[in-house]
Amino acid sequence: MSEIKSIGIPTPEEIKQAQIDFAPRCTSAGRVNDKETQGMVEHILNFARKHSLFVVAYGTGCGAIEIPATMTSRYDAERFGIRGAATPRQADVMLITGYLSTKTLKRVIRVYEQMQDPKYVIAFGSCAINGGMYFDSYNTINALDRYLPVDVYISGCMPRPESVIKGFVKLQELIKNGNAGNGEAYRSDLDWYRKNQQKVIKNWDFPDNYNW
Amino acid sequence: MEIIAIILLILLVGSFLTYFVDSFNKKWTGTTAFLIVLITAGIFFTKIKSGYQFNFQLAGLDLQWGLTDYSYYFVYIILGLSVLALLYSIKYMEGKARLGYFYGSFILTVLGMLGVVISQDFVSLFFFWEIMTWASFLLVIYNAYYKIKTKGIKYMIFSAVGAYAMFTAIVFIHVHYDTLLISEAIAKGAFNFEQYIYIPIFLLLGFGIKAAVMPFHVWAPPAYAKSPMSFTTIFSGAMSKMGVFGIGLVFTSFYLSSNPENFFWVRTILGWMGGITAVMGTIYALIQTDAKKLLAYSSVAQLGYIIVGLSTGTQLGVMAALYLAVIHAVFKGALFMVAGAVEKQAGTTDMTQISGLIRKMPYTFVVALVSIIALAGVPPLGGFVGKWLLYEALITESNNYILVVVVFFSSTAAFMYSYRFLFGLFLGQEEKETEHVKEAPATMIIPMIILAIIATVAGAYPGLIFEPAAKAMQAIGFQDVTWQMSSLTNVWGDTTDLFLIAMLIFAVFIISFVFLTLKGLKKTRYVGTKDISTSGELPKEWENLTFQLDFFKPFERAAAPLYKMDMNKIWKDLGKNLEAFFGFFRKIYTGNGQTYALYIVIFLVVLLLFRDVLFS
Amino acid sequence: MEGIFIKILGAFLTAILAFVVGMLYGGLRRKVIARAQNRVGPPIHQNFLDLMKLQAKRTNIAHGFMGHMAPVWIIIAAMTVLMFIPILHGNLWFENLTMKGDLIFLLYMMVFGSLGMALGAGQSGNPNSAMGVSRGLAQLVGFEIPFFLALIALMIQFNTTSIAVLMDHQEATGRWIIVDNPFAFIAALLASLGMFRYAPFDIVGAPAELASGPRSEFGGKYLGTMMTGGAVFAFIKLVMYVDLFLGGAGNNNLEGLAGTALGLVELLVKTFLLYMIPVFIGLVTPRFRTEQAIQFFWKWPTFFGILAIVWALYKNGTIG
Repeated sequence: MSEIKSIGIPTPEEIKQAQIDFAPRCTSAGRVNDKETQGMVEHILNFARKHSLFVVAYGTGCGAIEIPATMTSRYDAERFGIRGAATPRQADVMLITGYLSTKTLKRVIRVYEQMQDPKYVIAFGSCAINGGMYFDSYNTINALDRYLPVDVYISGCMPRPESVIKGFVKLQELIKNGNAGNGEAYRSDLDWYRKNQQKVIKNWDFPDNYNW
Repeated sequence: MEIIAIILLILLVGSFLTYFVDSFNKKWTGTTAFLIVLITAGIFFTKIKSGYQFNFQLAGLDLQWGLTDYSYYFVYIILGLSVLALLYSIKYMEGKARLGYFYGSFILTVLGMLGVVISQDFVSLFFFWEIMTWASFLLVIYNAYYKIKTKGIKYMIFSAVGAYAMFTAIVFIHVHYDTLLISEAIAKGAFNFEQYIYIPIFLLLGFGIKAAVMPFHVWAPPAYAKSPMSFTTIFSGAMSKMGVFGIGLVFTSFYLSSNPENFFWVRTILGWMGGITAVMGTIYALIQTDAKKLLAYSSVAQLGYIIVGLSTGTQLGVMAALYLAVIHAVFKGALFMVAGAVEKQAGTTDMTQISGLIRKMPYTFVVALVSIIALAGVPPLGGFVGKWLLYEALITESNNYILVVVVFFSSTAAFMYSYRFLFGLFLGQEEKETEHVKEAPATMIIPMIILAIIATVAGAYPGLIFEPAAKAMQAIGFQDVTWQMSSLTNVWGDTTDLFLIAMLIFAVFIISFVFLTLKGLKKTRYVGTKDISTSGELPKEWENLTFQLDFFKPFERAAAPLYKMDMNKIWKDLGKNLEAFFGFFRKIYTGNGQTYALYIVIFLVVLLLFRDVLFS
Repeated sequence: MEGIFIKILGAFLTAILAFVVGMLYGGLRRKVIARAQNRVGPPIHQNFLDLMKLQAKRTNIAHGFMGHMAPVWIIIAAMTVLMFIPILHGNLWFENLTMKGDLIFLLYMMVFGSLGMALGAGQSGNPNSAMGVSRGLAQLVGFEIPFFLALIALMIQFNTTSIAVLMDHQEATGRWIIVDNPFAFIAALLASLGMFRYAPFDIVGAPAELASGPRSEFGGKYLGTMMTGGAVFAFIKLVMYVDLFLGGAGNNNLEGLAGTALGLVELLVKTFLLYMIPVFIGLVTPRFRTEQAIQFFWKWPTFFGILAIVWALYKNGTIG
């Protein structure tokens, strides 16, 4: 699937294709605990998960500068239990802070795959949603959703720390209801994601096996 | 014929027999050597008990061979380790050249060591000492057959100096005390530091060189590292203990003296020599990149602890030294075997070349892990007991507070090279170069595992070693040596209950293993060592993720002044100065006939001029 | 039979106490740091939530046998040391095995966990882990020297190597060892800065340099267990210092539960005050380089350690 190169009125075929391509892949199939079905233990664990979010901040684009402001004294994200993690192994949440060049996407995918379930992705700003001002750039991706399952989008260009915290609170809500964390969905839909990823990443050299 | 003579004869004949077996069939050389030493050990331990005596006369000299409890203690080390090392070397030496030469010299070395501990007179002591030294020299140069001059020269020179010193001491003992029997010499006070101080000094020089005490340790690391590993097991495990054996004998005089203040200076100087040996050995061990060299330096350091223990002259200290002598033979034997196995299977022991062998050589790794924990002195394994005894001896009995800190520094820094050894060979990245590596053959694994089991059992039941050690101490003049099977007590009455500790650790281990590791093991997936968080970057095949070179650079920077002292350089300078000195005298011989004619003329003139003075 | 029952129950109580207090202190530290930075900070029970979350991770990865075992070593070391440290003086429930091991054993046992974890970190093959281990071991050689000097000073001053006997002595004379040998306390306190690994000595897990060093490949239950072990160890170190220098806790005349409760309160107050020293120092300091850290320990702390020995010998009547 080639990137949308120009703005024009799309044909019905294009719209149909786009609906297929952009359809959210992360259905509830991958979620083990919906609010209705989750038991007591899962409820308590979700409470812990919700209040303890270790963040690996993938500082792409201009959003990286908002992270320090969010974490430090002024906005103090730590009061929500949000804390920086040094490596993806320890992390729960990945922040994609802005536009993603295809070169960076490869690293982002790698980091995402190294995180452990349940894992969440928060995408910052318009660029991660639809490409934003880079919508026709040759080397950025337009919609993050096609390459990684995203839990929460924060709109804005760039979102201010207040919005970032709002996004985190939204994520907490989702976790509480058992609607967040798409690691298993990613694994089950791996073929689709891989197809999309391989389309934009030219020098694809990932091992085929997910359990690499 | 006396049984001891038969045993020595078996070894002597066996040595030549192995050599000839090699010319017929190379496959059987190792097995023959192993069987010969196994039979010898069998006969020895069944037929000979402590207190055995055999006197005879040879060339007008009274010779005495026999075994006290003290020497019997060392026989355990020698024969036990030799049997295991020979079993190990069957496969280790397979396919190498000059096997007859190797095994012949090996058995001859065992003969020499056995002879040293059984001889009770100085003549046979010296005789066997020389056999041991020269046979081992042949083995040191085994890997450098055509480069003898560069490889074995240090060992040869130091051994020769040690032997001369010992010989001088023996002559002086004969002159001053008119005896050649060790027991008589002790009874007459020949080893006393007060009367003829040069006798014990010369003897200590002889024994100390073998035990690689600072500043005579420079021969040891290259010699340990260059010899074939199956021999280094004996070399570092048993033969260096011959030096300890001798030093222990020489010190009987101050164990026996009731007043510990008598030999204050001797004790202090020797203790500090041991302490500095330990520190220098340790800090040089941790900058090595070759595992064999690392172990060699570590051997020097461990011998330092033993010397410190002996130098205290107190009950706990000597017990520590004797205990460490055995436990060092056990774990360092196992570690040299591990290094040998890695060398055999992977081709090298250079830690910058290989890494990540844990999944390829799991048994070897477990042995290495157990031995390293014992070496580091971490409970509940056997090494801790030795460390505990040594510290308590220095603190409670010997009151040597600064020395104990020096020893402690060395033993803490030993954690660094312990980790380095395990990490360098077995952990870290699994590289493509080591993919072909397989586990070592069973006959190499079995001796290692036996040694590892001994090290483990000694941690819970050190009494098994204390019992012969206590007897040995009584044989050199201690009275009422107390020991318990599985707990340690110092003079202040503080105890450490080892059995309880071992059980507790075992229980916690089982509980946490079940609830932490086994629980949820299915949801845990194994990932390779290339799957690591490298900031999202995919490591390429050629990319080097192994951190091996300059592993302890920060420590090196912090301890830079310590690294400035290099004994090798001092000896080299001494050698150069001596060369210049003697070179000056050499100039007398100009090679010119006229000069010699001049000398004759000068001589005659002097003779004539001073004839009144000279011939009056 | 009843004795064994009390012993087992006491061991469990000790473990739970150490775990809860250690975790709470960790949370408290985060709160204190937050308040000092004019933030609200996480709730005090934050570390429990973190631990729960980590244990509830649905998948885990391991790099092999030693990677599996790394948290097990830590738990072994923590539990074993805990059993040999007197929590309350002369209390039936917290007696455990205090008379069965001495200071030198404790000194070596405390290293056990770090070494095990270092091995686990080594197997991951991450160069950051190995670098962290290299720094950690080097730092260990640094701070163990003044700590050992302080311990020797205590040993020779009071002619014992047992921590329980030292506590008995403090109760009998009614004087804390911090008064008897202040230099030993100073040396040990400075060494404790390195032991806690807070700034300026957080060179091992420096997140900005080494991506949390030895822990960088551990997540989920492994990281959670390491956190638990770390919390228990923090408690152990604090109790050990209180026992050695601050008279221990539980020296009251009350009988039964009231005495135990008072003792525990006393213990919490003392350990908390002690804990705040490394925390506050960590708040206001940047990070040392490794060799600077080592050299720091070999300078003033070692000097005070030697002074402590001289002082002990003087008090003992050996010199002067």
